[in-house]
Amino acid sequence: MPRKEPEVSTVEEAPGRPTAADSDEEARRQEAVRRYAALETASGGAFDRVAALAARIFHAPFATVTIVGDDRVRVIAAHGPSARRAIFRSPIAGSPFMESPVVESPVVVSLCAAAVRHDGPHAVSDALLHPGSAGDPAVRGEPGIRFHAAAPIVTPDGEPLGSVNVMDTRPREAGEEELACLRDLAGLVMDELQVRLVTQRTVEIERQLRAGAERLARTLQRTLLPPALPRVPGLRAAAAYHPVSADEVGGDFYDLFPLDGDRWGFFLGDVCGKGAGAASLTSLVRYTLRAAAVYDADPHAVLANLDAVLQQEHAGGDMPAPYCTAVFGVLQPDGDGFGVTLATGGHPPALAVRADGLVEPIHPAGGQLIGILRNPHFAQVSARLNAGDALLLYTDGLTEARTETGSMLDEDGLTAYLAAAGPTSADALLDTVHDLITDLGEGVSDDAAVLALSVPPATRSSFSGSQGAA
Amino acid sequence: MLVVAGDLDHHTTPRLRAALEEVPFGPGADLVIDLSSLTFCDSTGIATLVAAHQRAHDAGGALLLAGLEQDIARVFHIMGLDQLLAFYDSPEEAVRAVKDRRESTT
Repeated sequence: MPRKEPEVSTVEEAPGRPTAADSDEEARRQEAVRRYAALETASGGAFDRVAALAARIFHAPFATVTIVGDDRVRVIAAHGPSARRAIFRSPIAGSPFMESPVVESPVVVSLCAAAVRHDGPHAVSDALLHPGSAGDPAVRGEPGIRFHAAAPIVTPDGEPLGSVNVMDTRPREAGEEELACLRDLAGLVMDELQVRLVTQRTVEIERQLRAGAERLARTLQRTLLPPALPRVPGLRAAAAYHPVSADEVGGDFYDLFPLDGDRWGFFLGDVCGKGAGAASLTSLVRYTLRAAAVYDADPHAVLANLDAVLQQEHAGGDMPAPYCTAVFGVLQPDGDGFGVTLATGGHPPALAVRADGLVEPIHPAGGQLIGILRNPHFAQVSARLNAGDALLLYTDGLTEARTETGSMLDEDGLTAYLAAAGPTSADALLDTVHDLITDLGEGVSDDAAVLALSVPPATRSSFSGSQGAA
Repeated sequence: MLVVAGDLDHHTTPRLRAALEEVPFGPGADLVIDLSSLTFCDSTGIATLVAAHQRAHDAGGALLLAGLEQDIARVFHIMGLDQLLAFYDSPEEAVRAVKDRRESTT
């Protein structure tokens, strides 16, 4: 083939030695490549189509989309007969990209690397005669690239990431129209990278928000429940929280804490609502109950105090009034057992499992919702826990659960389940409730908190005391 | 008479609240809410019913609830709301009670 005189290429010579300004520029460019994660993630059908279109427009055998990293050129799409191997002959041995459309080359291919230094599309009519590329192995050897055209892929803030390239084994000219098309194709690649970056950022932000919300929910939940129950001489105590959802904060709460002398206070309840609002209300309720008990431990007075605080909290607000239900009790050591005084406001009955297996409610009739009613009535009752007796407090997530037949478990169903399990201890009572909740499965639709207290059985036989009204 | 059907929850309660706010309670102006098709009532539903009751009471009227499903009635009982709100087995019974109220006040 007669060799033509070298055509005047439309490009300037490749720049000479890098200056300090050049290296600053290159650092900014590398930062942009990293920002778009272009070397790591960019690949896919959209880029393959761009390469195929570029080849078709130029009627050329090879086209590629490349990203220029700091020490390698990465081909994110390639079109043509064995284009990747032909143009970049040294894929990293054993690279996971070997069989994928994306090939990494340790060889800095001068043609592609040079493309990013140009502001617009450019072409080299005969690479063999071009000082910047004549030494390139793909030019000197197989497949013998002669013609090369490239359009830089430029970010909106002007940083070139790589280029869309077309190559031919024959020297030739590039038409203005062809180069304009190449520039538009490079613009399409940039648009695609931009969309991917925004999508990736959105997903990342969503992930962070979700992780933050879950962390907040867990932190709140921890503050609402005591990390461990205190040891009360002569008493066993255990508590559990059965959440329905891992990332939604429920409004169930409980606590057991020392009062004056040898008396102990305990409570369990449920505030209305879910989420952050319910969590802050739960926090208020919990601290109010503890503070009120220090002031006056009479259970009825404690609930009345809580009611006053919640009513004040709501005063003037347009939102539905916040309210809660709760059981508050005081334990007083008495012989080999404890005297228990319980007050309740709108809460399901506490259940005593006696030493002989009898299950009976310890429930003052008529206690009303706390924080929402005018002149609410809180009821109080006294009872005894003797050796071998256990007491279960629970929230309505347990009793409002649906059984297999679709009916509510209710106090009756819970009573029957506990009766079948027989005499028990605080820990065993919690296991029984855990089994029940497992049995109910999907029937449980709300969080359930349980607090169990028990008096260890005496070595000699003992009898339960009877329940008496306050 | 107001008929409430389906679930009363965080999403649906604002509609009931808006409807109740338009009710002109007053002496002799009572309201029967037919709850016989109510399938679920959460805390916002309860708070709304309680607020409506208090508004009716303040105005000299009455709020009467009719046909509450057994499970929901049980929950209301545990919360002590049966001491506050007037429950009737059916809307007809509630309407009879409204008439009785009027006759006793005139």
